Amino acid sequence: MQASVTRTKSDLEKAQTRAGYLFILPSFVLYSVFVLAPVIVTFVLSFTYYDPMAGSRWVGLENFQRFFTGDRSLQIFWNTLCFAIFAVTGNVTVGLLLALALNRAMPAFLLYLFRLAYFLPVIIAAAFVSIVWGYFYGDDLGVINYYLIRFGITPIHWLTSSRTAMMSIIIMDIWKNAGFFMILFIAALQGVPKTIMDAAIMDGSSYWRRFFRIVLPWISPVVFFAIVYASIGALQVYESIVILTRGGPGDATRSMSIHIVEEAFDSFEIGYAASVSVIMTLIILIITSIQLLASRRWVRY
Amino acid sequence: MAALGVVMLLPFAWLFSMSFRPPAEAYKMPPSFLPPTLDFKNYWAVLTSSVPFLQIYWNSVEVAVLVTLGQLVTCTLAAFAFARLKFPGRDSIFFVLLIGLMFPAQVTIIPIYLGFAKVGLLNRPIGLVLMYLTSSFGVFLVRQFMRSQPKALEEAALMDGAGYFKIFYRISLPQLRPALSALGIITFTQTWNYYFQARVLLEPQQAMTLPIAMDLLRGYLASGNLSVVMAAMSMAVLPVILIFLLAQKLVVEGVTMSGIKN
Repeated sequence: MQASVTRTKSDLEKAQTRAGYLFILPSFVLYSVFVLAPVIVTFVLSFTYYDPMAGSRWVGLENFQRFFTGDRSLQIFWNTLCFAIFAVTGNVTVGLLLALALNRAMPAFLLYLFRLAYFLPVIIAAAFVSIVWGYFYGDDLGVINYYLIRFGITPIHWLTSSRTAMMSIIIMDIWKNAGFFMILFIAALQGVPKTIMDAAIMDGSSYWRRFFRIVLPWISPVVFFAIVYASIGALQVYESIVILTRGGPGDATRSMSIHIVEEAFDSFEIGYAASVSVIMTLIILIITSIQLLASRRWVRY
Repeated sequence: MAALGVVMLLPFAWLFSMSFRPPAEAYKMPPSFLPPTLDFKNYWAVLTSSVPFLQIYWNSVEVAVLVTLGQLVTCTLAAFAFARLKFPGRDSIFFVLLIGLMFPAQVTIIPIYLGFAKVGLLNRPIGLVLMYLTSSFGVFLVRQFMRSQPKALEEAALMDGAGYFKIFYRISLPQLRPALSALGIITFTQTWNYYFQARVLLEPQQAMTLPIAMDLLRGYLASGNLSVVMAAMSMAVLPVILIFLLAQKLVVEGVTMSGIKN
């Protein structure tokens, strides 16, 4: 009796194990082929000079050294960081302000319209909206300059001056992505306990005092997450710049992603391009682990 | 707030309105933010231009639909195993899968390009499909949802001697509808919008998807044909806008969830 029970139990376990592996098989094979293996190969490539004809050779850290000592690559690195810092700050700040403005009782259809207006840019590809913005930013035939001139303001070289081009791309980025952070913050704001807020209102503390003393500390994990998430996206910036300026004027707006594609597939500097993508990945890994460590601490209290 | 909302929508109003302007007046100022006519001539011009727009459109549909269907299948299967079955190494495998969320497309694209060149998948939309047939995020999303569902029914069926596939198909799957529609919508819009990967892997016009083709069209039809470019653009953004209008809540929740994936 005892024996037969154990047998069925272990049979069940075996069947479960077999089923488990079968169910994850498709995902795991695809994941290994298209994510794991390529990541490992890229890391290996980053230490080589890749030449399929004459044979690749190991060059150690030479590719990384080249990136961190070249004038052009440093400018590109700086461009990317610069874009990330301003785009992240802008997106998170505007998203938070929008969320504060929207976080109140209003008729359902109004809420629908606002969500439509602020979220539509989020889900339409940057590749599409950048083309529209390209026409908005035009020098002579641009929509924005037309209105600037009509109101007697000097027109701006939005994309054709190296001093303003990056700023113009960041403005478009905030238009496109702030709505995402707005939605994120609205959800967080609704979690702020009403009792504490009501008590603060009874005590007569002002709106901004309540915001800085109660609301902001309460939603700070979400704000922190938003900053990390936005940074990861911003470091990869590619299509908006490709379409608006092609990285120009000169190298004024060239980002790491553009650099990777150009080096790898136009110049066929595979090893060097791989090292640039490894650098980008390492930065992302560092940012993500900071987030993981910090959120663990937050959860505890 | 309302005024700002209108400003947010101006680029879209402009794009649709311009697509109805006669090409000769494309650059006339002031620009229109409401359609001046309802003449579909520019749309016709796109379809009959020398750019294989219908082929490109079909590529986009094919890639987005196949990737969405593929992910629904592979992610649900894996999620069922991770949420409901016990097997050696389960949690470590899940962890390895989750690490994938941290790698940007930039760090996988070079080997994939070299590999595709070797096996003849370069410049074929189906290559893009293969790359995205599963996603760590999708597995994670469905697993989270499944863990919040009661498993009494599944256990009862197991007692009755039903096999695991039958339990998955007959009992778990029907309960997953909300998670699957969210995943389907996110995946479709995301895939429709892929640019970086498509630009590297799909070079000839015949193989392009819409996001890369729009850039080409702009150069190709640009001289004075802004209206025609905008007609093409209107057609390109239409599916995503339709999905958004029909399922706004699902889209907003889904896209936000895909952000909170970490």
